[in-house]
Amino acid sequence: MLRLRSLSAAATFGAPFVVLLTLWAVLVPYFEVNPRLFPPLLAVVQAGLESIGDGTLLQHIGASLLRVLVGTAIALVLAIPLGIAMGVSPLVSTFLTPLFRFFSVLAGIAWIPIATLWFGYGFGAITFVIFNAVFFIVTYNTLLGVSTIPRPVRNAAASLGAGPWAMLTEVLLPGALPNIVTGIRTGLGFAWRGLIAAEMIATNVGLGYMLFVARDFYKTEVIVLGMIVIGVLWLLLDRLILAPLERRTIERWGMVQRA
Amino acid sequence: MTALLHLWGGYVRLTARWPVIATLVPFMPVLALWWFVTAIEVFPRVFLPGPADVARSFAALMYKGILPDYLQDSVVRLAVGAFWGTVLGIPLGLLIGLSQRAHTALWPLLLFFQAIGDIAWLAILVIWFGYGLVTMTFVIVYTVIFPVVLNTVLGVRSIPVNMHRAALSLGASRLRIVWEVVLPGALPNIITGLRNGLGYGWRALIAAEIIVGTSGIGFMMFDARRAGSVVEILLGMIILGILWYIVDNWILAPIERATGQRWGLVTR
Amino acid sequence: MKDLAIRNLSKTYFDPYAGTNVTAVHDVSFTVKQGEFVSVVGPSGCGKTTILNMIAGFLPVSGGEIRVGGKTVTGPGPDRGVVFQSFALFPWRTVLDNVAFGPKMRGVPKAERERIARDYLALAKLSEAEGRYPTELSGGMQQRVGVVRALANEPDVLLMDEPFASVDAQTRMTLQEELTRIWQEKRSTVLFITHDVAEAVFLADRVIVLSKGRVLKELDVTLPRPRVWDALHEDAAFKALTGQVLGLVRSA
Repeated sequence: MLRLRSLSAAATFGAPFVVLLTLWAVLVPYFEVNPRLFPPLLAVVQAGLESIGDGTLLQHIGASLLRVLVGTAIALVLAIPLGIAMGVSPLVSTFLTPLFRFFSVLAGIAWIPIATLWFGYGFGAITFVIFNAVFFIVTYNTLLGVSTIPRPVRNAAASLGAGPWAMLTEVLLPGALPNIVTGIRTGLGFAWRGLIAAEMIATNVGLGYMLFVARDFYKTEVIVLGMIVIGVLWLLLDRLILAPLERRTIERWGMVQRA
Repeated sequence: MTALLHLWGGYVRLTARWPVIATLVPFMPVLALWWFVTAIEVFPRVFLPGPADVARSFAALMYKGILPDYLQDSVVRLAVGAFWGTVLGIPLGLLIGLSQRAHTALWPLLLFFQAIGDIAWLAILVIWFGYGLVTMTFVIVYTVIFPVVLNTVLGVRSIPVNMHRAALSLGASRLRIVWEVVLPGALPNIITGLRNGLGYGWRALIAAEIIVGTSGIGFMMFDARRAGSVVEILLGMIILGILWYIVDNWILAPIERATGQRWGLVTR
Repeated sequence: MKDLAIRNLSKTYFDPYAGTNVTAVHDVSFTVKQGEFVSVVGPSGCGKTTILNMIAGFLPVSGGEIRVGGKTVTGPGPDRGVVFQSFALFPWRTVLDNVAFGPKMRGVPKAERERIARDYLALAKLSEAEGRYPTELSGGMQQRVGVVRALANEPDVLLMDEPFASVDAQTRMTLQEELTRIWQEKRSTVLFITHDVAEAVFLADRVIVLSKGRVLKELDVTLPRPRVWDALHEDAAFKALTGQVLGLVRSA
């Protein structure tokens, strides 16, 4: 019964795409659209198979994902402890909040020009932009999450004999987790956009680069292929990593108020 | 210890009367640090100029009229894009929120196209429309429309069904209900969507100006980078940060709070 | 005569969890005469809310018919006003605007509909609250606004869906007394759903006991009006009647 339901759910989700693809396959040739303006479906499929075959697509995807991975990992390792440390004291968190809001506002794309100046073109600059996008937002959200843990909860833990380590792992981290996860989701969103933008101007491998170089040659089929790949990748990231993360933490614990 | 607490107490009372101070004071240590680091030249001046240099550049660019021009360009683009994104997004959100058929047909497409992201469209947009205002506006509208639609749908769906029923039992027609119940009920969420949309929107604007722009703050930063002049880059970043901080904190957030809390719809 | 007549009403729906059809209401028939106050009482799940939703027009009918003043009911409308357990006030409108909503939908001009609203608010002794927003009021006050909002539209029938279940016990007693007082002045036709036996008897001219989707029994309440809790708590007739109804409800 459940199998049937999830199958039919998948079918309902996929139906609009099937309609869209059909329209695409039919209308573009019918109206004899200039392929330099918009490619027919077949051309995109061909381009896709080609670039998978000669390995370039995987190269680009790999490069982009690697940058995201490294940037995000470093950012999280630094941001979460920092956020917790700052959030624990109401004095510190109130004082520092405007600062971190300001830098959250700048996160990501605005740093591209200065990143390319400091790190030159390539891996360093792009990873820095990603790091930046995730770091400030996650720190701010962690700070927020910790500082909004109700005092009575922390007091309860203390009066039940929790030492500093236990307080951290049993109270502060779980309590702040919903905000942290929200921060990761937002930060990754900015990071992904920053990635594509940075790759358009600051490197010679990666999905953004793939899009922009194809533009020079009017290879619209490569551009559309790239756009689809970007969309699919983000959806996978969202469904396979972020959504389960949110489900396990936020929704399971019934703490859905996202301030 | 008590002296410190007294100091803190005084600070809290001061900021209660003038909240602006709470915003400005935390930046002082940062400014001081910045000045210190550049004064002892930990990094070469070429890489990291000091606050004085940036201030001087600010004055110069204001005097030459370049900065106001660029600022105006950027702001106008954002405003136009945001306007169209909202005007198109709210009705679409209402439709999807109210009609299950529209939801089934459009929701998956919405999610996918949102996933592609605004910036990925720049490549094909440049082919279609060149490097002009149309490309920029399209990108911003594209960016703004998704948070607005998504949040509108959320708002519409979070209206308790009894509110619809109450209106029906008081004689309201379905169309009337959209205007009298659905829109006000969804308004807090719509404003949240607008706020988010603007947040993404101005980022998209900067990216577009960096990549394909010929004027505006983003362009200024990228042009400065090409010329190797860090000062303008930093200036641009600071201006952007301050501008958005002001708009978001002192204009958008209060509006969001006002509608939500006044009507008791949002618990923060 | 605008009576509410229910004939052979039934409701069946598909339960996705059970995987089968469930009959919530079996062949229910009763009449509420114009100006009568009828309580429907029964345990949770006995179908009383379903019946009310069908009368209000929020749910389609599986079988039988509902008539108000001889006309068949086909959907929600201002002829059947509803008071909800969750109050369902419009949080973005003031108390006055909430009460004036029904007349506004009928196209009554502003001055006139505000006058109507003020009259009804005065009836419920809520005049000072007219400029406030619902969120600023207590639960009891909000529900009084809810009652008055439905009444201000002068419906043929007033349907009340466990309206006092969300308020505390003391407020509930006050609200019940308020309701009978207002009803005696307006003499509306009221169908009142509740699971509280004492409340059902206190308020009504007639009590209909429902169980598992069927009418068990109808009992007349001949207690004198006006009804006040202080007097009735120890009244022998009241206790006998509530005992009888309670016995029926529990035995089902």
